[in-house]
Amino acid sequence: MYDSHAAQKIAENRALDKNDQEMIVKAMDDGIETVWDRFADQQPQCGFGQLGVCCNRCAMGPCRIEPFGKKPTRGVCGATADLIVARNLLDDLVTGAAAHSDHGREVLEVLLATAEGKSQGYQILDEAKLHRVAEEYGIKTKGRKKEAVAGDLARALLEEYGTLKNRIQMAERAPEKTKDAWKKAGIVPRSVDREIVESMHRIHMGVGADYTNILLHAMRTSLSDGWGGSMMATEASDILFGTPTPISTWANLATLSRDKVNVVLHGHNPILSEMIVKAAEDPELVKRAQKAGAKGINLVGMCCTGNELLMRHGIPIAGTLLDQELAIATGAVEVMVIDYQCIFPSITHTASCYHTKVVATSEKSKVPGAIYKEFHPATGLDTAKEIIGLAIENFANRNPDRVRIPEKPMHMMAGFSEEAIRKALGGTYKPLIDAIVAGKIKGAVGIVGCNNPKIKQDYGHITLAKELIRRDILVVETGCAAIASGKAGLLVPEAADMAGPGLKSVCNALKIPPVLHMGSCVDCSRILMLAANIAKELNVGIGDLPLGGAAPEWYSQKAISIGTYFVSSGVYTVLGIPPKIFGSTNVVNLLAGQLNGVVNASFAVEPDPVKAADLLEAEINRKRKALGI
Amino acid sequence: MNTVFVRPELCIGCRHCEVACAVEHAQSKTIFGAIGEERISQPRIHVEPGIDYLTFPNRCRHCDPAPCMQVCPTEALVRDRETGSVLVDYGRCIGCAVCAMACPFGIITFHSVHQLSAGRDVNAKCDNCIERQNSGKIPACAEACKTGALEFGDANDLIRVSRKDFTLRMQKSEGTDVEVPRIPENVRAFRAILKEIAEMS
Repeated sequence: MYDSHAAQKIAENRALDKNDQEMIVKAMDDGIETVWDRFADQQPQCGFGQLGVCCNRCAMGPCRIEPFGKKPTRGVCGATADLIVARNLLDDLVTGAAAHSDHGREVLEVLLATAEGKSQGYQILDEAKLHRVAEEYGIKTKGRKKEAVAGDLARALLEEYGTLKNRIQMAERAPEKTKDAWKKAGIVPRSVDREIVESMHRIHMGVGADYTNILLHAMRTSLSDGWGGSMMATEASDILFGTPTPISTWANLATLSRDKVNVVLHGHNPILSEMIVKAAEDPELVKRAQKAGAKGINLVGMCCTGNELLMRHGIPIAGTLLDQELAIATGAVEVMVIDYQCIFPSITHTASCYHTKVVATSEKSKVPGAIYKEFHPATGLDTAKEIIGLAIENFANRNPDRVRIPEKPMHMMAGFSEEAIRKALGGTYKPLIDAIVAGKIKGAVGIVGCNNPKIKQDYGHITLAKELIRRDILVVETGCAAIASGKAGLLVPEAADMAGPGLKSVCNALKIPPVLHMGSCVDCSRILMLAANIAKELNVGIGDLPLGGAAPEWYSQKAISIGTYFVSSGVYTVLGIPPKIFGSTNVVNLLAGQLNGVVNASFAVEPDPVKAADLLEAEINRKRKALGI
Repeated sequence: MNTVFVRPELCIGCRHCEVACAVEHAQSKTIFGAIGEERISQPRIHVEPGIDYLTFPNRCRHCDPAPCMQVCPTEALVRDRETGSVLVDYGRCIGCAVCAMACPFGIITFHSVHQLSAGRDVNAKCDNCIERQNSGKIPACAEACKTGALEFGDANDLIRVSRKDFTLRMQKSEGTDVEVPRIPENVRAFRAILKEIAEMS
């Protein structure tokens, strides 16, 4: 017999948020398989894989190294645990870097098409940023049409992917001292695609056996992401769709509507979803929705496509990675639009249990069972309208008996781009620097990354964020971490009441939350720019600043790239989930210690968020002391 | 007395033993053949997750006397004198599961086997790889285990390893600081992290 008390207990173990718990119970009621069920089915998970000592690259293998000191100590090719762990880590990292950078390339292609008048519905919204970036690239702006400048800039940025100049112009934005450390270590990124291709080369059998050399290239590849592909994705998105400014909206699954047509926008790249936002305002489509018996069209975001729309338009956000199935389980989603990254391959299987239609839109991200509407810049708006039309048609198929939507959405603020933060401070970082020097704010930590069913959903993010602000440490966030804080009510100015007295006074004076939502996961580049600009004002390196990074619930290879470009840029980073490196003491020691001598930052692994806060506070104090404050 | 001795501290949950077992009991005895057979061979050893993401490879102990043999109403369970293995005569098994009720280790599961054309589910328990043993090989699970969590040999010899370690520990007065077998620092650190994660949920 079904035991509702037991189901509630299970839900409480799976997620922190009450609305999520309610939907987890409903999913169980409805007999829907979710990520937590699949995680349980996967137990036990292979220890060789978890320790990173499994190598499945070539046809002499698969091989694994015995972790307890017995044989085999080498793969068939002769690789040791150190080498296998380092190659596996580079493989994970380059996957993440490629995902970010390829996302960036697509935004640039839309920018180019728009500049050439070949796109539909797009325009260049932030001309000031267009000019700023164009000038960095030596492109003339004076007296020129914005389309002409944008065309030159899009081509210049696209060239960065394969540039022959052996440097990425955007990486020049890093402070001199930080760049000097890169030069000394030989990790200045030379182009975006080159580092990615070279990574793939280096994980081939017989291309070096020195784990240190492999990990240095991993750092260089991550820098080509953070200061290259990801940063270009952010900048090009801002130029096309506007640089975010503070904006209020709502978060969690209760943002789905009982009486409107619900469309969930899930994935990472905003290019098509921006057009869907436009299409949803089309009076004809709104009229059609009303004719179909709905009160209108309700767009909600999910994961980083959601973050992009939230930052620029205040589109409410339904949730994080682990909410994608729960949104469908409300029974109230007419269409889930997917682009790419972090979309569960089983999402159409989940949707098939309800009336929900999944619409795949990217040529590189097709899912069996989804309706396919391929995105092209030239027909972006038409495709968006078709998708909204499809959702309206599907509204009639919603079964009210199977609908349950949680009651209370959470109020939240987003839109804190680097430019917006600077503006809130009065155009210069001086007030923030003064507050840090005075000890009102001890430092800042970027909490980023995903969810992972290994940790109760959002528990790591929220506990860490609360601990840090309580200790007068400002928190900036992106990705699922930021959405988690939105759901938990940390992204409102009133949350400053949870902060220590110093941080609270600063937040109150500026009317900002103690936790700032800075955008999607490619927008971790905004965190880099924030750090770079503060460092430049002080004439120090990023590694000298009292900063930290954390990924308490990460799962994705992209998080490995982000964590590594944080550390490589000088930001100490604590991971809540152990990366697959513990099979090699040498690799662990390098990443968790020796890197300090190279970039004045290192990694740590600590699942307990309170202990993670201790580590971050200690690092911030170490750097404060070194600065003499 | 030969046995497959289990050292749970060395089990890392890779399930190599399960795969090797299923392959050994498939008609083709090859991995690529096994996955396409009409009656898919099932492992007779079970790597079970317990607390703190630790695992235990659970396998028939080939007890003597064997509770399963004692309760079987059709005498489908028989002992091989040579190896001491408890074997199932699939033709006689009626699938009543009384053996499973009597088994102290919960290792008996019911599946169809390629030896029976009828296709009914029978006690498909560990046969101690009797065919392999008769041709001078050790059981497939122990052969597949790379970490030494499953070791095949004379029970007293294998136990002696643990005893010797214990003796040394007492003489060195290292007390409980020393584990048998010794777990390397990096694996210990990793397990401590998993324990923390397990305790958080």
